[in-house]
This record gives sequence, C-alpha cells and structure tokens, in this order.
Amino acid sequence: MSTSVMSEPTVFIIDDDPAVARSLRWLIEAVKLKVELFTSAQTFLDTYEETTPGCMLLDVRIPGLSGLELQEQLAKRYAYHVPIIFVTGHGDVKMAVRAIQVGAFDFVEKPFRDQELLDKIQRAIIFDAEQRGKVAKQVEITELISTLSPREREVFDLVAEGMSNKAIAYTLELSSKTVEAHRAKVMEKLHAKSLADLVKLSMQLRVNTP
Amino acid sequence: MTHEIFLLSIVVLGWVVTMVVVAFMVLLLKHRELQQSIQADEITQRKITKRLQESEMRLKAIIESEPECVKLQARDGTVLEINPAGLRLLDAGSPGEIVGKPIYTVVAPDFVACYKENLQRVFAGESLVYEFKSITLKGRVRWMETHAVPLRHEGGDVYALLGITRDITEHKWAMDQARQHQLELARVARLSTMGEMATGLAHELNQPLAAIANFTRGCIRRLRSGEMTPAELIEPLEEVCEQAERAGEIMRHVRDFVRKSEPRIVPANINQIIRSVDKFIELETRQEGVQVTLILSDDLPQVKADAIMIEQVVCNLVRNAVEAMVESKSSLRHITITTKQGESDYVLVEVSDTGPGINRLVAGRIFDQFFTTKSEGVGMGLSISRSIMESHGGKLQVLPQSEGGATFTFSLRTHAVEYIGAERRASYH
Repeated sequence: MSTSVMSEPTVFIIDDDPAVARSLRWLIEAVKLKVELFTSAQTFLDTYEETTPGCMLLDVRIPGLSGLELQEQLAKRYAYHVPIIFVTGHGDVKMAVRAIQVGAFDFVEKPFRDQELLDKIQRAIIFDAEQRGKVAKQVEITELISTLSPREREVFDLVAEGMSNKAIAYTLELSSKTVEAHRAKVMEKLHAKSLADLVKLSMQLRVNTP
Repeated sequence: MTHEIFLLSIVVLGWVVTMVVVAFMVLLLKHRELQQSIQADEITQRKITKRLQESEMRLKAIIESEPECVKLQARDGTVLEINPAGLRLLDAGSPGEIVGKPIYTVVAPDFVACYKENLQRVFAGESLVYEFKSITLKGRVRWMETHAVPLRHEGGDVYALLGITRDITEHKWAMDQARQHQLELARVARLSTMGEMATGLAHELNQPLAAIANFTRGCIRRLRSGEMTPAELIEPLEEVCEQAERAGEIMRHVRDFVRKSEPRIVPANINQIIRSVDKFIELETRQEGVQVTLILSDDLPQVKADAIMIEQVVCNLVRNAVEAMVESKSSLRHITITTKQGESDYVLVEVSDTGPGINRLVAGRIFDQFFTTKSEGVGMGLSISRSIMESHGGKLQVLPQSEGGATFTFSLRTHAVEYIGAERRASYH
C-alpha cells in the first residue's frame, strides 16, 4: 500500500470528444502531470488500478455509462478510488451538485479558465495523497496492533482511556507489576515512546475504523 | 305459324327500335347536314324534322336543367353553346355575353397558355380533365375543373370540344387550409426544436472552443517556462486550426438549417400589416421626432405572405430610415410608407425617407451580410429582409436616387381567391 503513495500521480481524463481530451492532456502535461485518456467510462473501468494515485476529470455527458453511473460503479467496486472532478457543460450544474452530494471531489463548468482547472486538479491530487496516507497509516496501525496478545490489547485499550496502572490492575485483577510488564511490551510493540503516543494511536485507530 | 311470325316481327321490331335510336344519335350529332340532306324528301323531312325537334328539345331540356356547366367550344376557343348553369358560373346575364366570344375572356391571364394547349389536345382527339383559374364577367376569381371530350364529325374530324365544368374553388380552398394547417404544425414543431437546438448548438460549439483554449493555454505555459522549441508548437497549432474549422462547420450547418425554414404564406392584408408595424414603431419614431405617413391604397387584393415576416421587413426598413435620419442629424424627418397595385398580380410596398440617402459607393453592398454604415449596426437587417422577400418569391430593392432620401420597395404576389379573403374578413366582425 505504502508503495503506491510514492508512485507518480496520474490525471485520468474521461471524455468522449477526442479533440477535447487531447487538448486537456496538452494543457495538463504543461504542468508536468502524467495524463491518461479514456473515451468511455467502460474502458476506464476495464483498466483501472485503484492503487494508482491522482485524480479523474470526468465529463458528465459522456455517452454510454454516464459520469454519475461510473462514480457509482467505482464506489461499489473499490473501498477507495481517485477523487473525481466532474466537467460539466452550461446548464449541467444540477447534475454536478448531485455528483458532489454522492462523493465527487469537485466540478468545473465549461468554459473554464485553465488556472481554475489546474488548481482543482492540484487540490484533488493533494487530497488523494492525504487520503492514501491516512489509509496507509491505518493499515500500519492495524498491523501493529494485531501483534499484541489479547491481554496486551486489553491493557492498551485501558491505558488509552487514561487509566492508571493501579486502576488497570484492579480492573483486570492483575498485579501492578504484571500490568507494568504488559504496558512496557505494548510500548515496545507499537513503537510508542510515551503515553501520548499510545493515546494518539488509539485515536487514529478509532477514527479510521468506522 | 302465326306464332313464329309474331316472334319474328317482335325481333324485327326490336331491331327497328334499336336502329331508330342509333339513327337519332347520328342524326342529332349531324343535325345541320341532315337538314340539308332531307330537303330532298319533303314528306319524310317533315316527319324527321318534327322528331328531330322533339329530340333536340329533350336534349336541351336535359342540358339546360343540368346543374353543372356544359358548353361547346370551337378550336379557336369560341364558345358555341353554353347552358344556364354555365352562364351562372361565369356571372353572365344572357347567353349573348358568352356565346360567340372567346372563352379566354373568362380565363385568368396566367392560365390562358395552358388552356390553349389543353384545347389543342382535345381537338387532337384526347379526353382531358384540367383545372384552371377563371375570372368571371363580374371579376370574381374561381377555380374550375373541366372534363373535356372531343365531338367528331362522321368522318372522325373533331369539330367541337364538349366541356363539363364545375366550380372547385371551395374544394381548393379546403385543400389550401389543410396544407396551411400542416405548415403551421411543422412551424410549431420547428419552434419547439429551436430551443433544444440552441442548447445543443451551444454544447457543440463549446467543444471545439474549449479544445482551442486548452491547446493554446498549454502552448503559452510551455513557452513561458521556456521549455518548448518552435517545432513542438506545430502539432498543437494544427490541432487548434482543426478545431476552428470544426466550429466553422457547425456554424455552416446552423445556417443551412435556418435557411430551410420556409415562410408560412397565407392570404394577408398588406395594409393591415403596415398599420401594425406603424403601431409598434410609433414610440421609437415619436421619440426621434420622425413623422410617419401611410399612403395605403384601398381595395388592394390580399397578398400571399407570412405576415410576421413581412412585418419584420417593413420594421427593418423603417428602423433603418429612422437611424439614418438620426445619425445624419437630418432636420426634416419624414417616412412615407406606400402600398399600391403593381404589375398584374403584384402589390407594391414602398418605404421612403428624407434622410441622407444611400451613397452610390456602397449601394451595391447594402444587402450583403455584415455590411453596415451604422456605428452600432451588425449588418444583418437588409440581408435578412432580402432573403425573406426572396422566400416570398419577391424582391427587395432600393430605388434609384431621386432627390435626397432613400426609397426601398418590395412586391408581393396577390392571393388568387380574393373574394374568399373578403368573406373571411367579414366574418370576423
């Protein structure tokens, strides 16, 4: 997972008008971003690797599988996918609003200024990287925590709740010494240097596990 | 034996009767020759004459009571005989007004040539059904349908055209109504697609325009960062050209589409059109101190026109006149709109002003698209007006300069069945 965060972000362009698609590539490549073109939602779905970071420029009016339907499909198939920027024509704003409501990142209304579009793309790529970072972090934490024994896990949870060793010992009917030993082990296994680190880890775990 | 004789005599009698009937027919058709030939035998003559008279009376009675026009015509179009229904149809008070005179006095000028041709065909032996427009002795315009057959001498020579004619004006009018109704439907359908078309068009045009903007922006960014060689510009610039051409192609389609929209031509009162234009330009003209005079000829026939389109043309002409006089700061600001009978089937409309007139140098270009002498004009008014007039089968022209001011004129064809127009007009009141 963490390797994908490192790979080059790609802007996926899905537009049935080849000239418009080519012109967008030409524009976006000017700011040194990698671009991939697709003329339909289906061809995109057929080749999409969710591990590739970046963002997607999606024309709402593409024929066949529509922009909104592609968004639905992606949400169904993948736990996480690149953020979608919808490209709408004049009068399609309603559609764009609906897209945002069901999770699109942003939309641009044609005709747009190049800077406006490039800014949105940059923001989407940053957002994507952050999301991927969070996901990676969560996976890392989950992996670390899975190395704890059941008893250690109990101790970790109670420590994170702010209980003292004595209280934990009382709750778990253990000796203070044993609790201390478990706690040291937890700190070691979770690479935590302080109580604060443990609390943070615990919170991250809770945030990222709905 | 007597029985057989009886039967034989019946058969003979039957034959005799048949022969007599046939003889009557022949005798009837060759009435005049028979009269000459029977002079020889005086005794028979009297009998035959009597019978002939009887038969002729019978035929006359039939023909005279026939509700449709029955007439005989000579090769040169002279009316030989006509029944009372025919006289009524042509608004003739007595046979003398029609019989012995050429039929062309009651055929509309447009149809004379065609009528003559049909006549020749019938005299060449054909039986025909033809339609034509007739102008009765009282000047009413009516559509007629004639079933014409040749009448022959014994030798086979055609000596007359027997025509049975009926008035199909009502029928034709109903057909026209149906056609107009269809045109109206088509127009409504077109109007409702106009909105859709405009949206589609906007989208269509946005595509190449967006592509052009993206390609050029991409070029500008690369040129600014100094990382682009001139050779690398060629490809995106070619793309830009292609997209500009694509946009042009779309516009061409639109123009074709618009040009195809046909006027909705119906009988219209030209004076009424002028008056309604006068009403909605009143505010404008008054504000600019322009006096508008209407010289509208009474009793003009109805014209074939799309009233809305003609209003647009007149409106354009008046606005042009107002603007010309305002821009040139003319002290005398006067517009005259005239309607009058033009050549044969045409009504003329003239719009003249007291402005600076049209400069000879530009006179040849004023009807061109995007040609304008006005500071804020787009140069479409006269161009559109001219194509409207062309779609009406007429012409919009500027009259040769007389003394100051400009005069534009256009003509409209008159509607064929005027009196129907009058009836319909009357029914509104």
